[in-house]
This record gives sequence, C-alpha cells and structure tokens, in this order.
Amino acid sequence: MKIEKLIEKIEGEASLDFSFEAGVVSDVRIRFGLYRGIEQILEKKAPRDALVITPRVCGICNHAHLMAAVKAIESGYRASGIDVTLSPKADAIREFTLACELIQNHVKWLYMTVIPHFESLTGKRSQENHALKASYISTTITKALAIFAGQWPHSSYAVPGGVTCDPTYVDVMQATALVEEAIRFFEQMMVGMPLEAYLGIDSVSQLHSIQGDVGRLMQRLGEAGMAEKGHSHDRFIVFGEGMGFVSGKATATTVSSVDVRYVEESNQEDSTAKAVSYKQKQFETGPLARAIIAKNPLIKSLHKRYKDSLLTRVFARTHEVGLLLHRAKEALVHLDVTQPSCMLESKLLSTDFEGVGTVEAARGSLIHRSVVKSGRIAHYDIIVPTQWNLSHGNASEKGVAVRAMIGSASIEEASFIFRSFDVCSVCTMQ
Amino acid sequence: MTATEKKERKRESIMQASLQLFSLHGFHKTTIPDIAKKLGMSVGNLYNYFSSKDILAQEIIKYTSEVLGAKIREVNETDLSAQEKIRRIVEVYFVMSKEKPEMIEYFLRVYLSNREVFSEGCEGMTCVSGFITEIMIFFDDGVASGELRDQDFFSAFGLFMGYLGGMVFLKGEGVLPQEIEYYIDDISRNIYNALKA
Amino acid sequence: MEALKPRLLWLQSITCNGNTHSFLNHPDLFSILSHFELVYHPVLESSCMLHEVLARKAPCDILILEGAFSEQGMVKEGVEILDVALYYANVAEHIVTAGTCATFGGIFKGYDPDAISGFAFDEERQTARFERFSPKLISLPGCPIHPKWLSYVLMMIVQGRSIPLDAMCRPQELYNITVHTGCSRNEYFEWKVDTKGFGLKEGCLFYELGCQGPYTRGSCNKILWNDTSSKTVVGTPCFGCTEPTFPKAVLFETKTHMGIPASMPLGVPRRAYLTATGVAKSFKIKRFEERIITYED
Repeated sequence: MKIEKLIEKIEGEASLDFSFEAGVVSDVRIRFGLYRGIEQILEKKAPRDALVITPRVCGICNHAHLMAAVKAIESGYRASGIDVTLSPKADAIREFTLACELIQNHVKWLYMTVIPHFESLTGKRSQENHALKASYISTTITKALAIFAGQWPHSSYAVPGGVTCDPTYVDVMQATALVEEAIRFFEQMMVGMPLEAYLGIDSVSQLHSIQGDVGRLMQRLGEAGMAEKGHSHDRFIVFGEGMGFVSGKATATTVSSVDVRYVEESNQEDSTAKAVSYKQKQFETGPLARAIIAKNPLIKSLHKRYKDSLLTRVFARTHEVGLLLHRAKEALVHLDVTQPSCMLESKLLSTDFEGVGTVEAARGSLIHRSVVKSGRIAHYDIIVPTQWNLSHGNASEKGVAVRAMIGSASIEEASFIFRSFDVCSVCTMQ
Repeated sequence: MTATEKKERKRESIMQASLQLFSLHGFHKTTIPDIAKKLGMSVGNLYNYFSSKDILAQEIIKYTSEVLGAKIREVNETDLSAQEKIRRIVEVYFVMSKEKPEMIEYFLRVYLSNREVFSEGCEGMTCVSGFITEIMIFFDDGVASGELRDQDFFSAFGLFMGYLGGMVFLKGEGVLPQEIEYYIDDISRNIYNALKA
Repeated sequence: MEALKPRLLWLQSITCNGNTHSFLNHPDLFSILSHFELVYHPVLESSCMLHEVLARKAPCDILILEGAFSEQGMVKEGVEILDVALYYANVAEHIVTAGTCATFGGIFKGYDPDAISGFAFDEERQTARFERFSPKLISLPGCPIHPKWLSYVLMMIVQGRSIPLDAMCRPQELYNITVHTGCSRNEYFEWKVDTKGFGLKEGCLFYELGCQGPYTRGSCNKILWNDTSSKTVVGTPCFGCTEPTFPKAVLFETKTHMGIPASMPLGVPRRAYLTATGVAKSFKIKRFEERIITYED
C-alpha cells in the first residue's frame, strides 16, 4: 500500500510517499518542490556577491549561509597565499550572531513544530499560544543579532577578514541585556530552573529535575514511547567548528576526524534535492550529532540509554539552546571593542581560488564550495544539512530520516518523526 | 532694468576690468584704486561691491570658471562622440585664450600663482567647480559610453588640462612658432589617444 | 457579536521564507494578527490546510503573496501556484506582494529570467497581471520586507484608510524616502568622506564599497531593522534590495567612471551632485578624519 502525504509548515513543504507493509511503514520517498537554482545564479557573479546571494537560500538559516560563504572565500584566499587572520573580536562577534540564529531556530521549532504536532499526535491540544512564545524569544534574540549584523533575516555583515560592524560598549550592553532576557525566558518558560543549574545536569538520572515546557515535553514523549522510536543509523557527522562544537564523525562509540573531500553529492531520482554521503555512508547531522561529537555529558548519557531515538534527538536540540545562550553571554563578556573589526583591505584580494566554508547551521553542517576564476565565480556548490538527514540513501542503506520512520504504525507518527529532524525544505530546494 | 540687475551688471564690469589689470600687471601690483580709476568710479563705491581685493580675486575665478564651464556644458549637451567632444573642448579653450586671453591668463598667472589669496574661501575646487563639474561630466559620459578608459579622475584631468594650460602658457611666453589654432588637431588626437578605452 | 475579521491568506511561490520569518519577528505580531482571521500562513497555525488552499476552497479578503512566479512549473500537489494565486487574486479585496521576489522577481528570477517574474511586475515592467489587479495591488518590495512595513499596510486596511501609493503601487509613506534617509553616516556623505575600509563606524560607504542607499527607495534607516539597526549603520553597504533591479552585480564595489559614481542619489541631477561634491571635497574637516571614540589602552 502506498499513501502520499504533503507535509507543510516545515520551511516550505515536502511530499512523502509512504509504503506500508504488514501495517507499518516500510519505505518513504521524500520529494521536494521546484529547484531554485541558487548555485547557477551565482555563476559569473563577483566572488563576494555570494555574501548577499546565498543568505537568500533560506529565510530561517540565512546567517549560517553568510558564514559559510565568507569562510569559503577566506579559505580560498588562504589557499592562494593570503594571510587571513581574524581578530578575537571579529571571531567572537561572528560566533555570537550565529549562535543567536541557532537559538531562534531551535525555539521556533520547539514551539511551532514539535509541541503542536505532538499535541495533535496524542490528541491532547492545549489552549496555549505556543507561537507567541516562539515569536517573543525569536524577536528578542534576533534583535541582539541585529545590533552587530544590522538585520535579520538576510544580513551580509561578515566579510573576508572580519565583520563590517564597529560596535561600541553601548551596543555590547544592549546585546547583553537581550541575551539575559532570552536566558530568563529559557529559565522560566523552557526548563524551570536557573541556566547555571541546568548546565550542571550531566546525567539522564537528573533529567526529571527539568521542568517548564521542555520538562513537560520530555515526560510526555517518554510516556508516548518516543524513546523507543525514530532510531536511525546512530552515525553522526559534524564539519563546522566554533560555538563549542567540534568537527568529527561518530560511529558507535568511536569519534574520529573528518575531511570534506570525502563528502559526495549525487542526484536522486524523483527529487530535486541531491543526496549526500560520507565515504558512501549515511550520517545524521544537527544538534544531536554535535552533542555526541563534542561529548556533551548529558546528551551522551541520554544517548547511552535511548540511542538516537526521537526523544534523544528532540532533547539534543532544546538542550543546545541552553548551551548556546551560555556561549553567547560569555562571548559578550569578553568582547574587546578596541580590537580591529576587519583585518583585510576592502577590495577583492584574489581573482583565482578555490575555497570551502563549513559551518554549523541550526540543522547541522552546511558546506559552501566556491571556485573563482578570473575574478568571477566559475562554480558554486552548497550542501545543506537537510540533504544529510533527508536523502533516500543509497543501494546499501536507507537515508537517515527514512530509516527513522520505518516501522512507524501510522502516517501521523512517521510525520512527527520526520519533523523531529527540523526539516528545511527551502534550503534543500536551493 | 531693475536695481538688482543694474548692480549685477556693475559687478561684472568691475570683474572684467580687474581681470584685465590682474592678468596684465599681476595680482600684487594691481591696486583697488587702479581698478576704480579704470572704471571711473570711486574707491569707496568699489568697496560696496567687493569688500577686499582678495574677495574680488576669488569672485573673478568663480566667474571665469562659470564662463568656461558654460562653454564646455554646451559641448557636453551635444550627441557628439567623446573624440569629437575632446576636439570641441580644446577648441573652446584655445579660442578663449585668444579672444579673452585675460581669462585663461588669470587662471594661470593669478589663481595658480597666488595660492595664499585663495587659501581661505577658494579651498580645493570650491571656486573652480563650474568648470571642473563639466569636465567630470565629460569624463563620466565618455566612460559610460565605453569610449574612454576608466581610470583615476586626476590622472585623466591632469593630462587634459595640464596639456591645454601648458600650451596657453607657452603661447603667453611667445615661444609658439604657430598660431594656437594650428595645434588643435594634433593636440585633440593626442588627448584622445591617451584617454580612449 | 464580534464584527467579521478580514480573512488573510498568505500564499508562497518561489521563495526562501525570508518574508515569513521577518514578519514573525514583529514585536506586536499577535496583536496585529488578532484583527484578522488567519486562513493560511506558511508556518503559523491557520484555519485551512494547504491542500484546501490549493483546491481553491479557502476564503480570502487579503491575499499576501511571497516569492517569485513562474508561468509554469512551480507546482504544489500537482497544482500550478500561479493559477492558485490568480484565483485568490480575483477573490481578494487587497493583494499585497510581500518582498522583492513577489513584487519584481528578485533573486530567483536570475535562474530563468524569461520565465520567472514578480506577480504584477517583471523587474520594472508591468506584467499582464498588472492591468487586471492594479486597483487592489499593494507592492512591498524588500529582501526581505521589514515586518513593520507589512503591519502598517495590514492595519491601514483594517482601519479602512486609503494608502497613498506610487506608480508601482508602493506605499509612499515607506518608499518615497531612500535608505540613505536617517543613515548614521550622513555627515560623511555630506562632506564626501569615504570610509577607510570595512569595520569602521566612520566614513561613507557610497564612494567605494558599493552602498546603494542614496538611490534605493526604502525606510530601513527610519524604521530600523529588528527595532535596532540597519545594514549601513553596521557598515554593510545597502544592496538596493527593494529595487526592481535587485540584485545588481559586483555588490561590494561602487561602479565609478573616473572616480565619479555611476549612479546618482535619487532624483539628483549629476551636475548638481558633482558641483556640491567638488565643493564639499575641497575642505578637510578634522572631525571627519578622526575616530569618533578613542579608547584608552
């Protein structure tokens, strides 16, 4: 039996064709809509135009695209012998603004995707306006981001060698107050305890002490058996660094290093999205992967007990909000505005180069590759996190999300597992 | 004629007379009484129009720059090619050096040679903007149409105006064997060759 | 009984969701939405499902369009989105094109310039749809739109006020000023003091770094982004994202002809601009050559 379902409100839409065997999902084909051709649009453009064009890949993770684009140019500069060193200030500001974007994403996903759809799935709709909470924290934290980046969405304030802003302590104090407001929200609404105490939790045995919306959700997910559902390959990969993340891949309990050169893209039948694999193997990317590879004690402990279940995956993402809020606040505490913002001249410094930029976006590793010839982009390649998680896989193994959905008893449950990956359809249709 | 128009006309005649005297005898050797005498007006009355010799000198450079600018503007407003426009501008400049030598002489011998007089009130291009603006427009159009090569403004400006000024200077020194019109063709070609894309 | 609220339908075509997320950051989002019945929205809960919208079963008084349109091939559930848009455009009392893509074609037009355009405009040219729908059309270009531009339009509609529009149906109150208006670097523009590079609060970005603020329509520096800042305030050039020409090429460099900017400030004759520039440039003003703040080591 085959059933087609349109999944909407996931940063665009996707069509899922479910195959059922013996009453459970046996396979899923995921289809995305129109390919928008950003990579082709970039061809023949000036190399730095990518800093303006690529954020427009995605309305929710635009800032990550900016960071990947600027890192691709910087890596290309380095390859052509140019010294690219960022001041600690510029580095910290970039980290800060990217952390803010991740925070707004995760909280929107929690309140606008996970909680409402879980309520639908279990038939226990509350009268709460979850989106109001999402909008509040998103507005607050992107305001802090905009103090440095000018605006969100679609800033282009990161340029080769640094950032365009030149903040004063007036700006830093305003941003600090906004981060503290976001922390207050996290403490009072999301976890029901002080951030410091929350970050001290390092074992699954203390999980019950978490209250608030996250605590309630975890309890109900557990009750609904979500610690036993949504398992996939239990293989993780991270390419970006910074914000406390480290690159690497994890298979079973082994963590080892990665090299972007082994990332392979391939076309998929009946989908506009390209599949991606690492040495022919499927890997999950995103907050759970980041926590596993950075050896976050609490997530490691949760993972030890529940593996890569839906519950683990969902919690890893909400947990990252706490980690990032802490990092964001720390970044401002140490910010020295007297350091230079940008260490390179304002003109294009190399007309022939190849560069790769990797960054941890909200949904996982984002890779930009730029090939520049005679001062123009000859080829541009973007690999988005959703490609890792949502490909169909290859002959030997299913894609990450597909495998997680297999065995579900209903389309509703499978769709919920699908959404637990925080799907970004628009990115995938780049 | 209204009183304002009358006053404006008087101002102009003072500037015309001073222009001639300054170009002929130099700025320092020409006095306000000399100018008043040439115009048959009292020194006191002249001060009603210009409060000092420095101010007068500055007003004259603005005035000559406007006159020359207006001529180049006529060229800019034609549909000619940049090559043809260069010829017309060279022509305008050389013809003016012949018909109104005092204007060009004033620029070369007073404005450029007595910078202290112009240091306050005529900073940089303030008093010659009437002329400079038109040259900028000429360059801008030429590059936009693809006829001229894009380059630093001053490297192009220096080549063009330094060349013309130099020729007029040589003419003033009496060392040019030919009438200045004789050089229009060659000079226009040289300038074009140097500036073309 | 409560008066019937206008029914709002937000329909997406070829888009990045940027306008959706920009609007979600409106600090008064839910107060504004309380004046409407949300029939469909790309991320917020709404009264209809997408398949109902695509089946043309949803009611619609105000149609918000996000994303560029393709004559063919932009399909959801087997339905051409342009056809769906046309259906609701006929039914609606007001059509708002939210963002540069929906208004002029924007970034995504670049992939297939002949087939992709805005709803009523193809860059600055009117499409065939313009004539049909212009009486109820409101253009809100911007990549993305500012949340308060949209809330202004929605609240004006709710209050039954008429919005003064320009020839391209843009609200004059938002687009009859330029991005330059209110820029914190205005003094440097007045005195033609160039910035010395990226990452400095001093200096104007118009002369070297490609800033299009003086000839780009929009109120980015009057109604600040995220209630906080703007591109030019943080030293990023304005890329002209509200204009039909967006995106131009070589965005981080000012196109000049022998040092003269190829594009003049909006409505300013070149002769007037160059005269003022020549004069302003003739003065070295110490304050504008120095750093605004000196920090002790």
